[in-house]
Parts: sequence; C-alpha cells; structure tokens
Amino acid sequence: DDVKATAVAGHPPVFRWVKMIPEVFVPTVQKELEGSGHTFTVDLQAGGAIAKVGEELETVGEGLAEIGTVQALFDPAKLAVQNVTYYTPFVSSDVKQISNMMDRLHKEDARLQQAYTDNNIVYLGAPIGIDDYLLMTKFPINSLADLDGKKIAAPGAAINWLSGTGAVGVSGNLTTYYNELKTGVYDGVIVFASAAVPGKLYEVAPNVTRMGLGAQFAGVLGANKDWYDAQPEAVRMALHKGADAAKDWYNDDLTNFAAKALEIMAANGATVVEAPEDMRKAWAAGMDNAAKAWAADLDGKGVKGTEVLSLYMEEMRKAGATPLRNWDKE
Amino acid sequence: MVHPEAPPAPSPAEQGSGWDAVFAWLDRITQIFNVAGTALIVALMVLIGADVFGRQAFNAPISGVPEMVSLSIVAIVFLQVPQALRSGRFTRSDALLKLAWRKTPRFAKTLEIVFDAVAVGILGALVYAAWPLFVKDWQRNTFVGAMGDFTAPVWPVKLILVVGTVLLIAQFLARIVKLTTGRVNGASE
Amino acid sequence: MTPFDIGIVSLAAMVALVIAGLYVPIALMACSFVGVWAIKGSPLLASKLLSLAATNTISSYYFGVVPLFVLMGFLVAESGIGRDAYDVANAAFRKLKGGLGVGTVGANAIFAAITGISIASAAIFTKIAVPEMVRHGYTKRFAAGIVAGSSVLGMLIPPSLLLILYGVLTEQSIGDLFLAGILPGIVMAILFALGVVAMATFAPGFTGSPREGDIPALPARALLFKAVPIALLILLVLGGIYGGLFTPVEAGAIGAIGALVLGLAKGTLGWRSLWNVLVETGLVTASVCFLIIAAQMYSRMLAFSGVPAGFGNLVATADIGLWSVLLLYCAVIIVMGMILDSSSILLILVPLMLPVIAPLNVDLIWFGIVTIIAVEIGLLTPPFGISVYVIKSVIDDPEVSLSEIFAGAAPFALIMLVVLGLVLAFPQLATALL
Ligand code: NA
Ligand code: NA
Repeated sequence: DDVKATAVAGHPPVFRWVKMIPEVFVPTVQKELEGSGHTFTVDLQAGGAIAKVGEELETVGEGLAEIGTVQALFDPAKLAVQNVTYYTPFVSSDVKQISNMMDRLHKEDARLQQAYTDNNIVYLGAPIGIDDYLLMTKFPINSLADLDGKKIAAPGAAINWLSGTGAVGVSGNLTTYYNELKTGVYDGVIVFASAAVPGKLYEVAPNVTRMGLGAQFAGVLGANKDWYDAQPEAVRMALHKGADAAKDWYNDDLTNFAAKALEIMAANGATVVEAPEDMRKAWAAGMDNAAKAWAADLDGKGVKGTEVLSLYMEEMRKAGATPLRNWDKE
Repeated sequence: MVHPEAPPAPSPAEQGSGWDAVFAWLDRITQIFNVAGTALIVALMVLIGADVFGRQAFNAPISGVPEMVSLSIVAIVFLQVPQALRSGRFTRSDALLKLAWRKTPRFAKTLEIVFDAVAVGILGALVYAAWPLFVKDWQRNTFVGAMGDFTAPVWPVKLILVVGTVLLIAQFLARIVKLTTGRVNGASE
Repeated sequence: MTPFDIGIVSLAAMVALVIAGLYVPIALMACSFVGVWAIKGSPLLASKLLSLAATNTISSYYFGVVPLFVLMGFLVAESGIGRDAYDVANAAFRKLKGGLGVGTVGANAIFAAITGISIASAAIFTKIAVPEMVRHGYTKRFAAGIVAGSSVLGMLIPPSLLLILYGVLTEQSIGDLFLAGILPGIVMAILFALGVVAMATFAPGFTGSPREGDIPALPARALLFKAVPIALLILLVLGGIYGGLFTPVEAGAIGAIGALVLGLAKGTLGWRSLWNVLVETGLVTASVCFLIIAAQMYSRMLAFSGVPAGFGNLVATADIGLWSVLLLYCAVIIVMGMILDSSSILLILVPLMLPVIAPLNVDLIWFGIVTIIAVEIGLLTPPFGISVYVIKSVIDDPEVSLSEIFAGAAPFALIMLVVLGLVLAFPQLATALL
C-alpha cells in the first residue's frame, strides 16, 4: 500500500512542534514500514496554508487533512480536560516530566481519550510540551509588591495565574509582545524561554525572573479517526512509533534549547534570577484556585473535570513533583 | 460624497402582489441585517475604546476583547454582505459584459443568469457544509476564551454566517428573476 | 489529471471567469470548490473547505479592526478634516506640475504611520483625493492609480500587519522589521512623487493636464487652521502607539473615536452623514473581507494541488547561486501576486524558502523587506489586486472600470519594481537603521 497523508499545522515549520514532523515523525514511520510492503508519504501544509492555529482539530476531524498538530491550548472548548496544566501552575518546571506523564495518561486513560473521539480524532502521540514559564519585566522584581498595578500580558488561561499578585492581567499575543513591551503597553509578560529568545524579548524586558510557574502541555499529534481506522495494523503501529520518536526528539531538543536560551538572554544583558522560595510560595498562596472552578465547570457540562484534575495532580506527585499548591485537594 | 444606500424599499403593502412584493420584503430584511452589522461596528469601536481607557486610566482592562473582536468581524461581514451585493459592491470586471449588453443583449442576459446561478450553487454548497458546524457548536456549546477569565459561545456567529449566506443566495435568486422577467435590461453593477 | 494539473487548470479557469465578468469572490469560490472536488474526489470535502475557510479566515483581532481603520478614514473624509489636510498639502506643492498627486503620496506616507493595512489607505484616499484630483484636470484612471500605488506604503512603513506576519513565520524580531521598513518606505514615497511629476509633465495623454495653478496660496492663519485637526489626530494615534497607551491594532478604534470627536467638534459631521459613513464602512468592509475569505479558499485549494509548493521548490532547489535564487524568488512572488492575496503568498512561500536562504548567511530582516515589497506589487496587478478592488468598491463611479484603475496603477507597480531592485542592490536601505 502507498499511504499518503496531508499533515496540517497552523504554525510555520520553524516551530519545533512542526519541525518534528518532517525531521523525525515521517522518517521514523517510513523506516518502521520498510519491508512491510507499505510506503508512507506526507504532504506537510504548515504555517496556516490550509488550517490556521486552532483550526487544525476541526480540519483533521472533518477529513480535509489526515494528520495535524492538534492544539488544546488554542481549542480549549473542544479539548477541555487537555488544558489541565494551564490551570495548575507551580506543579513542575520539568517539561519532560509533564510531557511523558501526559503521553502516558493519553494512552491509558479513557477520560482523556474521550475528547479526541468526540472530535473524530485519534491520539498519535508526540505531546507538545512548553518549557517553564518565566516572568519577564521591564523592572526588577525584588518582592511581589513590585508587581502591584503593573500590566502583565499572559496567554489564554495563564491570565488566571496573576490573580492575587496585584498585577493587571492583560490577554496578550506572543507575536506582538516585543512592540507592546517596547512602547510600554505592557510592563511585563509571562512567557517561556524558547520563545523569548527568537522574539528578542530580553531587549525590552531584561529582568527575567524564574518563578517556576511551570512547564506546560499545549497539544499533540493527532490523526483523522476514519482514515486511521482504515489503515492496516502495520501502518497504525508505525504511526505511533513515529510519534514516540518525535516525542523524544522534541523533548531533548526543547530542553537543550531552553537551557541555552537562558544563557543567551544573560549574555545579551538580561538579568536572569531565580525567584526565592518564599516569593514563589507567597505568589502561589495568594492565587485563586482557578483549577477547582474550572473542573467544577467542566463537571457541570458532563466532562470529567474534577477526576482529570486529581488524576493529573496525583500522577505528578507520584512522579516526584512537589506542587506549591495541591490544587485538587483544597 | 457618501454612497447612497440602495433605494428605499417600498412598503410591501403599497406594492400589490407578485414578485415586487417579494423583492420589497427581501430588501427590507437585507436592510435590517445591514443596520445590525453597522451597529456591531459601533459596538466594536466602543468596546476597544473602553478596554484601552479602562486599562490605562483605571488599571481595569475588559476581559475577552480579542475574542469578541474575532467573533464580531465574522458577524459583521455576513450581516452586511447581502446588502453589499444589493448596492453593487461586489467586485467584477464588467467590460466584456457591457459590450455584450450592447451587441447581443440576449447572450448577455443568458450569461448573467448563468453567473448568478453559479453563485447560488456555490453559496448553497457553503451553507450545506456550514449548517452542521453550527449545529455541532450549538449542541456542545463551543466557546472561545479561557474558562475562569472570559468565555463567549460561538454558535451565534455560526448562525449569522448561515443566515447571512442564505440571504445572499436569495438576493442572487432575485437577480435571476429580475433578469428573466425583464425587470433588468442592461449591464448591472 | 494529477492534483498539480488540476491546480494549473484552475488558474486558467479563474482568470477566464474573472475576465468574463463573474463576480471575483464567486469565481474564486467556484474554482476552489471544483478544484478540491477534483483533487480529493469528494464534493462534501470541497464544501467543508468552503465552510471552514468562511468561518476562520477573518476571525482574528487583526481583521477585526479593519472596519475601524476604514471608519477612521471615512470620518476624516466626511468631516472635512481630510479635505483641509489635503488643502495644506496642495498649498505646499501647488507650484509643482502634478502637485496634487505629490500631495496624495505625501499624505499617504503620513497616514501609513498610523495604519497597519493598505486597504484602509486605499479606501480613505479614494474618498479624499480622487475627486479633488479629477476636479483639477487629472484623468480618473491616473487619480485612482496614484491612490492605489501610494496605498502600498501602508504596509511598508510601520506599523504593518504583513511585517508582523513575516516576523512570526521566520522568528525574526518584529521591532527590527519595522525599523527596516522605514527607509525603503520613504524611498518608495519619493520615487512615487517623482514619478507623478514626470508622468504629469511628459505623458499628459495618460495623466490629463493637472492644473494646480488655480489653487490659491493659503495665508498662514488659514494654513494653520486647516492643519490643526489632522495634526491632532496624528498626534493622538502616533503618540498613543509610541507612548505605550495602546497597540497599533487598537489604534484603529482610538483613531475612529478621535476622528468622530473632531468631526463633531468642528460641526461638520451631522447625524445623517454619520449614519451614512457607518453604513458605507460596513459595505466596504463586507465586500473586501468577503473577497479575502474567497481568496483564502482558493489559496487552500492551491495548497492541496501542490502548485505553489512546486514553484517554491523550483526556486529552492535550483542550483544557481544566491543571486539567481533571489531574483527567481522575487519573480515567483510577483507571478503569485497576480492571483493570490498578500498573506497567502507569505504563508506559502516563506516557509519553503527559509531553509534554503538561512544557511547562506542572508540577513533575514533584509530578506523580509525584499519579500514584502515583492508581495505588495501584487496589490496592484490584475486579475486579483486588492488595492484596486477596494478603490473600485469605494469610488462609486460606473464609468471607472477595473481595467482602467489597473492601468492607472501600472506605473506605480513598475516603480515598486525599481525600489525592489534598489533594496536588493543596497541592503543598507533596510539594515542602516538597525
Ligand atoms: Na503602516
Ligand atoms: Na495581484
């Protein structure tokens, strides 16, 4: 069989979670299929050529493409429980830990798979992890009081993280952070190192505070369910092997770059500091428990929010993470 | 210097029966949509203005403005697009059509009817596929935004997309009727 | 037929249908529908492509402010602020043959500093400048051509939504890109102005005979009086953007509110005309956005066919040296610019070229400016030229045909080609301010 698939990504190929498709996923699948009589070719349509960011789930689900980067972060209504990490900051700064955990839960737990099935998607693997979120500001942070009345931009649900700090949360967009910081629309942003470097954010917000807000899970590689079900067993196995290889490559590459990114920022005049433990604890203690409200809201909609919240927190604690707040137990 | 609105629709009551009454009703509905879209533009201006003012003057931005703006623009376009066709704002290159109306009016009329029929067909396909998307988002109450901060349902916009396109189809059908009944003779804008 | 063949046939069909007089958005939608049906073998999938693109194409903060930028422009026009500003420009250039045209270019360059999109510039100056130029003896086609040409400044001089898109695609600093756009933008404005004067002097058959002589010199007091409102508006918008009060995207709303307040204060804006302006804004927004939606459907169909990727690979894999690759790249962009909208070209070509260009030590900021200028030529070229379409939609004069506006804009497309050559030859134009 000659298996052909169109893969869609809203982001352009410079993004690691897109790059992993042609660099690792496809070659691995092809290698797995050697001698099986099947071949595999992918037409990668990235950068929004066919689906914009947040449109991938629907495009793959409806069958216009076979494979896609399915972005839970940008589709929070359809992939509700997948956003659990964005409601639980201060749990772990280790992106590999979160990625591996979410990968395992997606493979084992029906409550996480349900969201995909509802949208005619099959989870292939390769969780899109995001390295530890930092606070980057125009002013130095010596104590939490410094945040009082400052306008801090944050993406999506991360705006909830600012509750209780006295900072004004503004919903922002990575693409325009540089200009907004430069002119002073925002006084700071919540952002991750691997994005802050290419965007040169250290030039306009040189005070980098490692708050340990946490690494995150943003999306996965998914396939159209009808297409997937119609593939021979060997091809389906190969697809998952390809996604597993992509996961390992992605995690290593991201972890290396994130570490290097902090050095690059420091080398370019940014002040990178680790927030003292008591400051982190004070921040976490002052926050609203948005996770609880989020989970209860999902419960009301017939989605198992509370169960997934405690599942995730429990598994993270078992894996050795030491959350500053036990969001599920309050 | 401002483009005049489409001629005001005569009230259906004073129009007797037949097609003219249908057209009058159609134009009336089209204008109501147009007004709704216009009001939405004003709302957008006020919303963004209030967000900026609240943020700068009182440290109190309005949640969800980007989401509301993204939803509104789709609604604005599909509320106004039937009237845009009605008042001749659809882009076309009419040099050849004008020539045809002068030289061979019968051919020109046939061509215009075929073109309008193509529009009806293709917009029909759009509605056919957009309707299930609306139903799905309505039943599942799909939203934009982040829970805990701001959320808004997307189904009203999906519905406007469908209804606006249906109205646009109706305007194209009206053009076909006007051409076949001789109400329009000559290059239309 | 292979998908590639289908893509090629659809190009020919699209051009033929547009020339035959089918509405442009309908032609684009019909070609995408039939194209996807032929490629994927399923009319259902083809209609799904239409519905997803209709929902998602313009659903963003950036497109959301399009009506507000247009509204700001129409309020400026309707309240007489634009006319007054234009009088000032004309007083400055009245000794020049083609002075009104030069004034239009200059005013557009200034307006470019407060708008991120070319559509708004085209709409506004069609209202303010075209009638004035025609009244002073310019041919309609030349007047419309000047407006179409100078509207492209809107996305070269910062802020620019296209430069933001390029920055996102290539992970380059948007701040650097904005800086890099300034000098090429100024050079382009100057060459446009020189071009207007040269054409008015040497090609009166094309331009008409501009008679700026009857424009009275303005006494200093009147000059000041007329210049104040527009200066206030520019101060509000630029001051707000660079003073950190609001974003370039939000500036659309603030500018519209500012223009509204100024118009009401001047007493030149009645309720009736305000309502007309609002309705007009809606109709222009709807027709342009509907066109952009249809263009996105077409672009997605083409992406499936593999035609753009084919052309891109042709350039990317051609073993012909950096400069030949760059020239070929610009040529492909210009050809694509005839049939695709600006953002679609960027989305398709830039990711293809990046892996080829990056290892050759090419300055990606400079490469971005080259790309944007080449892409913007497409705003002026038939059969799909958004700036020309906007002017046609706003001008409200059945005697001005699309082909006439395209003809009027052609010299400006050529001048853009010259600027493109200059930036290619002298990269310092883009990088000097960095
Ligand atoms: Na600009
Ligand atoms: Na063009």
